Amino acid sequence: MARPSPSPHKPRRKAKQAANATSNLINVSLVESHGARAPAFPLAAFLWPARGTVSQWELLPLILMAAGLFRWAAGLWGYSGFEKPPMFGDYEAQRHWMEITTQLPVSQWYFHDLQWWGLDYPPLTAYHSWLCGKLGSLINPSWFALFSSRGSHDPTLKIFMRGTVIVSEYLIYIPAVVVFVRRYSRLSGVATWSASVALVAILMQPATILIDHVHFQYNTVMLGFVVASMSSMLAGRHLWASVFFVAALGFKQMALYYAFSVFAYLLGSSVFPRINIPHLLAIAAVTAVSFLILILPLVVGTLSDTRRGIDSRPDVDGPRPPLPLFQGLAHYLDTEAFNYPVVEQLVQMIHRIFPFARGLFEDKVANFWCALNVAIKLKKYPPELLQRGALLATLVSILPPNLVLFFRPRKDLLPLAFASTAWGFFLFSYQVHEKSVLLPLMPTTLLLAGGHGLSKNIRGWVGFANILGCWTMFPLLQRVDLAMPYTVLTLLWAYLLGLPPTSLRVYFHEGGNTWSQWLTLLIHGSFYLAMAVWHVLAHFVPPPVDKPDLWVVANVGVGAAGFSLCYLWCLARLAMLSEIFPGAWFAKKEKAKTQ
Amino acid sequence: MTEIYPSLAQCAVVAAALKILLFPAYKSTDFEVHRNWLAITNSLPLWEWYYEKTSEWTLDYPPFFAYFEWAMSQVAKLVDPAMLKVYNLEYDSWQTVYFQRFTVIITELLLVYALQLFVDSSHGVSKRAAQAAAISILLSPGLLIIDHIHFQYNGCMYGILIGSLVMARKKSTMLWSGLLFAALLCMKHIYLYLAPAYFVFLLRAYCLSPKSIFRIQFLNCLKLGAGIAALFGTALGPFALKGQIPQIMSRLFPFSRGLCHAYWAPNVWAMYSFVDRVLIILAPRIGLSVKEGALHSGTRGLVGDTSFAVLPDVTPRVCFALTLLFQAIPLLKLFLQPTWDNFIGAVTLCGYASFLFGWHVHEKAVLLVIIPFSLIALKDRRYLGAFRPLAVSGHVSLFPLLFTPAEFPIKTVYTVFWLFLFLMAFDRLAPASSRPRFFLFDRFSTLYITVSIPLIAYCSLVHRIAFGKSYEFIPLMFTSSYSAIGVVGSWVGFLVVYFTS
Repeated sequence: MARPSPSPHKPRRKAKQAANATSNLINVSLVESHGARAPAFPLAAFLWPARGTVSQWELLPLILMAAGLFRWAAGLWGYSGFEKPPMFGDYEAQRHWMEITTQLPVSQWYFHDLQWWGLDYPPLTAYHSWLCGKLGSLINPSWFALFSSRGSHDPTLKIFMRGTVIVSEYLIYIPAVVVFVRRYSRLSGVATWSASVALVAILMQPATILIDHVHFQYNTVMLGFVVASMSSMLAGRHLWASVFFVAALGFKQMALYYAFSVFAYLLGSSVFPRINIPHLLAIAAVTAVSFLILILPLVVGTLSDTRRGIDSRPDVDGPRPPLPLFQGLAHYLDTEAFNYPVVEQLVQMIHRIFPFARGLFEDKVANFWCALNVAIKLKKYPPELLQRGALLATLVSILPPNLVLFFRPRKDLLPLAFASTAWGFFLFSYQVHEKSVLLPLMPTTLLLAGGHGLSKNIRGWVGFANILGCWTMFPLLQRVDLAMPYTVLTLLWAYLLGLPPTSLRVYFHEGGNTWSQWLTLLIHGSFYLAMAVWHVLAHFVPPPVDKPDLWVVANVGVGAAGFSLCYLWCLARLAMLSEIFPGAWFAKKEKAKTQ
Repeated sequence: MTEIYPSLAQCAVVAAALKILLFPAYKSTDFEVHRNWLAITNSLPLWEWYYEKTSEWTLDYPPFFAYFEWAMSQVAKLVDPAMLKVYNLEYDSWQTVYFQRFTVIITELLLVYALQLFVDSSHGVSKRAAQAAAISILLSPGLLIIDHIHFQYNGCMYGILIGSLVMARKKSTMLWSGLLFAALLCMKHIYLYLAPAYFVFLLRAYCLSPKSIFRIQFLNCLKLGAGIAALFGTALGPFALKGQIPQIMSRLFPFSRGLCHAYWAPNVWAMYSFVDRVLIILAPRIGLSVKEGALHSGTRGLVGDTSFAVLPDVTPRVCFALTLLFQAIPLLKLFLQPTWDNFIGAVTLCGYASFLFGWHVHEKAVLLVIIPFSLIALKDRRYLGAFRPLAVSGHVSLFPLLFTPAEFPIKTVYTVFWLFLFLMAFDRLAPASSRPRFFLFDRFSTLYITVSIPLIAYCSLVHRIAFGKSYEFIPLMFTSSYSAIGVVGSWVGFLVVYFTS
């Protein structure tokens, strides 16, 4: 049965035809094999009436409004550090940056009172904070008054801050995801309707809402630039991809998790199928220029401040303190030269952004090191050794996916390669934060928009990663009494996608390899069970006196194990889809993986 | 026929998620009202319920609602006993908020069940339309704003009403329809406004023979009469024994209140007040006298007597007479053709009449019109044409209930979402009418819906930027006058549809 063309308003008829030809194939995965055609999970049921006749231009506003409503409603709850003196939390950090960027000269941004949430993000965050701070000061200047505004929990300020998060997200992340889903689904031959289902699933991803709109941060801005970069790669616009990726790096250094994949893809696509040196040079040039533009306001601001006699460190008397990093440079530099303040500024920025001086991990994070720490006390090893070990382990983990991407620079492999690289970084790198799990989760979740994205196999794994990701952030959320939004948003997403704990149907399908079905059910099931038991224990049983962190450590252990599986799954799937190994070698595995 | 997606249960789950996320949202004094009632019913003997006045929010709902509060207070005891102390005014610990907000969500399940009954009672092609209408009621922005943010228990009450309306569809359950409605009256007396339609319908379709109005079905009369008497006896009997009925009546019907409520309900009197305000400016030029004393009252939006500066004052007696008159007209047709569709139409028109002409009407009462109307709005395109301006105006008129900035995006985006989704869906689902449409009316509703966008923008943003905190009554007046035009327009339109179909 041929489906009617989903959208009468779309201009590109040709692309549609191509998509329709394969849509039957994809839709089969949404339909229960017995009985009448019916949606396989509740989210598909909600969009069921939109099949066929409803155009995307009618559906998209509804999707965006619904996603916005849930975000704003979640934002009514508390934020990190709410009424938790003396330091408060991330909310105060972001507010404080709006305060210093609007109240202080540019050259002091990276130097001002570093003990109180000193600026430690790249310049684009500083510019964004400046813009938000300027807008907010129009409404109420006391929100961002120097010193006196610290720790403010004015309820109207909260509304303003929530507003800046949602507006930034709707300007960057959401358009990027909408465009990405459109391009990626079309590339993979997925019908428009299925792509809309995937779009809702991606936008309702609980981890992002919980961290950005409840706990408070602007991760979606950075993630949005990365999605825009991937989306440009899909469209073949490699120069724009570099610009967007520089913007992502310039907003939050965490985007480095993806840097290897961006590099591998752009390099690979300049080498295969034939070497294209001008293309490579153009990419390099555009990247360099983007970086220059990124730091330009900082450089110009510093120079102009120096000319006006504004010291970047008014708190320091006497001779200029040495550079915090690269002390060797000092021999070659003249501290009185006109460009010295710029060098000092940039070195300080790098020093703030990359905290080499901190430990291997900060809090309890569900990554490899923190889990290993339970068995072997890592503190007794010298930090240099640990740093080297982390670097080596990270490289080993990210090398395979990036080699695949380099030798097979195919558009459809992008999300998988990005996901495996980010999982590798999350698991093995240095100085990981539990919120960093958002980075691997983003490309993992984007898989829903690809070929067979809504099939039970992929839905099961993407869902597993997301729910596990939210669960590892529970201790963080619980600290500021956010258990309720956590429960609601996570269960809602699980329900919409038909995942445990609301449904087990994702593990039972006809016609597949039963052996692998049972194995997946066994693995996922034991993790879901562990999460449920953990919640019960953590809620009702106080940890033993000598091990006050027992529940958190258990969370870390389970989380790290589960994330390792996610990494392996992404890697295996990438290897299989890229056909980088000879067919016969993989034939057996392929059968098990694609249902 | 195969299942229609999404199902009501699926919608209820997702809606519940949003409603739980709204727990920390703004809550009006009604939250304290209901907490106080929990405390009164739990800690005082029955005989003192209607005399207790520690809080200014005295118990002013009929006894079944008080019993309902008593039942909930049995659970509340386990959650946080402090909320059950009568003197604990304005108490809102997080346990109290969670508990009270949860009770709204849980009691709303009755509405889900009633709507499912409604869908099941429709057959054939109209089943899909019935499902859409049912979901539109379940997701109604009116219920979200009033129940889940502002705080009340309308979801549960309307669940009973819809259950009763659905049971009137079949002869075999008609008795239960009447009894359920009587029970509803004993919970919330605002439904008295709809009682005339029930009276006429049950009289004609249940108590009199379908063949002749002169043949009385005595057994049916007896069953209905005895059932109603028993219900009222259960509700009021204990109080009657102690001679407390006059006290209850004075609580239930406080006639000392003014014509217009604090915020103007979008009815005829809002338009009347608006004309009066305009005439204050025009009066000196056309030689009318202005009553000086009235210049500073009423329209300021305070509870109390409204007095008009130029136009003659309105008495409760006038309101009552007009309401009854406009209720009686559609009831004549119902008496002659007692079909279910006419019954729902008559219930809707009774709601319209009382909302438009009633004394001290609250804007929340607009649900009394929207919800019954939703059940038949998809009958054909002419019904839908009359429904559309009501859907816009009725919901926009609820906006002033929430005035805090944090809830502004919720109420507007949710209402726009709902209007966009359901007006679009209804448009596809409503079958063409066998009779000609009124060309002008469709144009009116399109124009009307368009005007709402600049109006909302002005009232919520532009006014505050331009005038700050002064002239706060202007946006309220605009909202209610605009909404009044929509409600009156849809009323006229529906009257025509009702009498010509």
